[in-house]
Amino acid sequence: MDTLVAQYSCPAIEDTTLDAEQDELLHGPDALSLNFSLPPIAQPSSWLRAMTDDASNPNCPIKIAHGTTTLAFRFKGGIIVCTDSRATQGNWIASQTVKKVIEINNSLLGTMAGGAADCQYWLAYLGMQCRLHELRNKRRITVAAASKILANLVYSYKGMGLSMGTMCAGVTPQEGPALYYVDSDGTRMAGNMFCVGSGQTFAYGVLDAEYRYEMEDEEALELGRRSILAAMHRDAYSGGFINLYHVKEDGWVKHGFSDMNPIFWKTKLEKGEFSNVTADME
Amino acid sequence: MASILPGAPQEGIGYSFSQAAPNAASEPRQHSFYPYSDNGGTSLGISGTDFTIMAADTRNVSGYSINTRYSPRLYLIGGEGPENKGARIVLSVVGFTADGSALKERLDNIVKMYKYHHGKPMSVSACAQRLSHLLYSKRFFPFYVSAILGGLDEEGKGALYSYDYVGSYEREQCRSAGAASSLIMPFLDNQVNFKNQYQPGSGTGHNLQAVVAEPLPRERVTQLVRDAFTSAVERHIEVGDGLQMMIITKDGVQEKYVELKKD
Amino acid sequence: MFIARSEYDRGINTFSPEGRLFQVEYSLEAIKLGSTAIGVSTSEGVILGVEKRVTSTLLETSSVEKIVEIDRHIGCAMSGLQADARSMVEHARVQSQNHAFHYNEPLRVESCTQAICDLALRFGEGADGEESIMSRPFGVALLIAGYDEDGPSLYHAEPSGTFYRYDAKAIGSGSEGAQAELQNEFHKSLTLPEAEQLVLKTLKQVMEEKLDSKNVQLASVTKDKGFRIYSDEEMAEVVSRLPTN
Repeated sequence: MDTLVAQYSCPAIEDTTLDAEQDELLHGPDALSLNFSLPPIAQPSSWLRAMTDDASNPNCPIKIAHGTTTLAFRFKGGIIVCTDSRATQGNWIASQTVKKVIEINNSLLGTMAGGAADCQYWLAYLGMQCRLHELRNKRRITVAAASKILANLVYSYKGMGLSMGTMCAGVTPQEGPALYYVDSDGTRMAGNMFCVGSGQTFAYGVLDAEYRYEMEDEEALELGRRSILAAMHRDAYSGGFINLYHVKEDGWVKHGFSDMNPIFWKTKLEKGEFSNVTADME
Repeated sequence: MASILPGAPQEGIGYSFSQAAPNAASEPRQHSFYPYSDNGGTSLGISGTDFTIMAADTRNVSGYSINTRYSPRLYLIGGEGPENKGARIVLSVVGFTADGSALKERLDNIVKMYKYHHGKPMSVSACAQRLSHLLYSKRFFPFYVSAILGGLDEEGKGALYSYDYVGSYEREQCRSAGAASSLIMPFLDNQVNFKNQYQPGSGTGHNLQAVVAEPLPRERVTQLVRDAFTSAVERHIEVGDGLQMMIITKDGVQEKYVELKKD
Repeated sequence: MFIARSEYDRGINTFSPEGRLFQVEYSLEAIKLGSTAIGVSTSEGVILGVEKRVTSTLLETSSVEKIVEIDRHIGCAMSGLQADARSMVEHARVQSQNHAFHYNEPLRVESCTQAICDLALRFGEGADGEESIMSRPFGVALLIAGYDEDGPSLYHAEPSGTFYRYDAKAIGSGSEGAQAELQNEFHKSLTLPEAEQLVLKTLKQVMEEKLDSKNVQLASVTKDKGFRIYSDEEMAEVVSRLPTN
């Protein structure tokens, strides 16, 4: 019926977004066609950069929420994934309670750095693809395959302005504990240890000094926590709560979403670290 | 895309733009296509144990001139007919009014169609995810809108979701968006989430015990909302004229209007 | 009658003067050639059961898949052309995941059934802008079992695109006898184990081969465990409980 109407009515402007919208109302949203509307100009990406890239233009009108320090490393007992929880829009702290570890399914985790919406949306999309893979092939997707889906996807949007740096961590029977880094440039690499975000250097500093593959679970959890704490302390774009996960053979375990402040003071007062900060509160 | 020149290596996560962003010193940047305007205004939402309060001022500005003193920023979503009878979800939009009303209409259509497709009203959590994806569908041509969505969850508790321009979202206790959000948000952190409040007499320095946040009663929240706005009006030119409030409870949505200063 | 019919039964999108679409009606006949599938709904959950036609001793019975998962909370049993069912199931899976992606909640069983039936009439030439998927109607019927916020439910979807909800339903070659049996035996207070027995007992009556744990397959959909296909051990256990006569 609508196609008949469309055939005989003559719209003044060919508007594909309205068609897509009508289609969506009729049949429900369709993720697989991935219709994104674009501004009616020749260079959408440079326009988008002028509007949204607060790194090159601090006065840009649309400040997209960014996420900041994330880390993950492999060790004897699996994988530790740890993040901060601060989201900033320019200098404004938009939120101190962002969940930057995204639970793709009960054995696969993704982390969020860069544009918060990009990460949230595409990791949810990845979750859907992983589930479909599972239904079609009757076994859980490997971390390699999942990260490849994501890398191919963002690569197809290369140059459009996506901003994400994510890690996929999971354990599968085929690969054991596996860790991949994927970013919006299309980079995808496997590795034992990654820190991503503006606080990455601070986290690497602690992690590189203390990391050993043969660590026990408790040591590894503490190292993850301590590395993020260092980044939260030195990087202004990181802060809030420490979000800690341990990926084990039978799935991931959450080890709390804890306020950094008491942990910072505990680390200072009980271990004598951060001695540059005075303990005197008066 | 046009020529792909390798950009300068960036620190951390860059954008995937095909060229490095021009810095201020290089050639003048063109802003000929600017489809947005900022119509000011501030919105606020606080959720409690069995209610959610949404509020927004009604002043609409362009630069320093006031377009109108009554343009509502809170919208009922779903329900029956153009009056949204029986709706239990409220959307607030601040930023660019045209984008805001376009967004509201799209979401309203989707929520109403959902009821026909699935034979039940949409839950707030479903609506929240859908709104996120709606915003993200304009990832490359964003809505210039800060949205807050409020309602009651499946257990009857207050539910509040806040969004950035392109759809990242989070469920929270309270959130302010728009022109005076930087004035109101710190106030809410302190008064709703009891940030930096300590138990009197619990000691000094490291011995201080933080006050544990607990849900506030409705009357207290209503008063906080009013205080937040009367204070913001005193210090922000884009806020004023009137305060529209919607209180969502299991019995429905109650709308209130309170006058604010008109200078 | 037969001559009159032959003029209209070749075009898949042409009504006969009596107002019938013969190809769609014939597709319903294709299902009657298929193996029997039965679904029984109880207050605790839904049981699906199918017969597997083991045509050769060399056939690996586990490769005969007539009950499949659509999502954690929805499964379906099929009768008719297997290959057609695969594309319907694929469509249902995508719709189900797509709904979860956009709405952060599981798809309702009725909506899932509707999504499958939407596909059923997309055969023929395809209108402008609407992609046609098949050149003929599907030759398969599905029993869709699921558990959602309204509790357990069982739907029957036909190639004609119509669907109905049933307490108990049989499809396939033995469907007439089986449906009569279900009509007699079904009552609202069936427990899940009783429903298992009812499904197997009914299958046993209409099957040509002797029922054993290899040539039937059961699956259940419950609130706690979602959709689950019975393992070989469970099948052996359930079949052993069947009264011998």
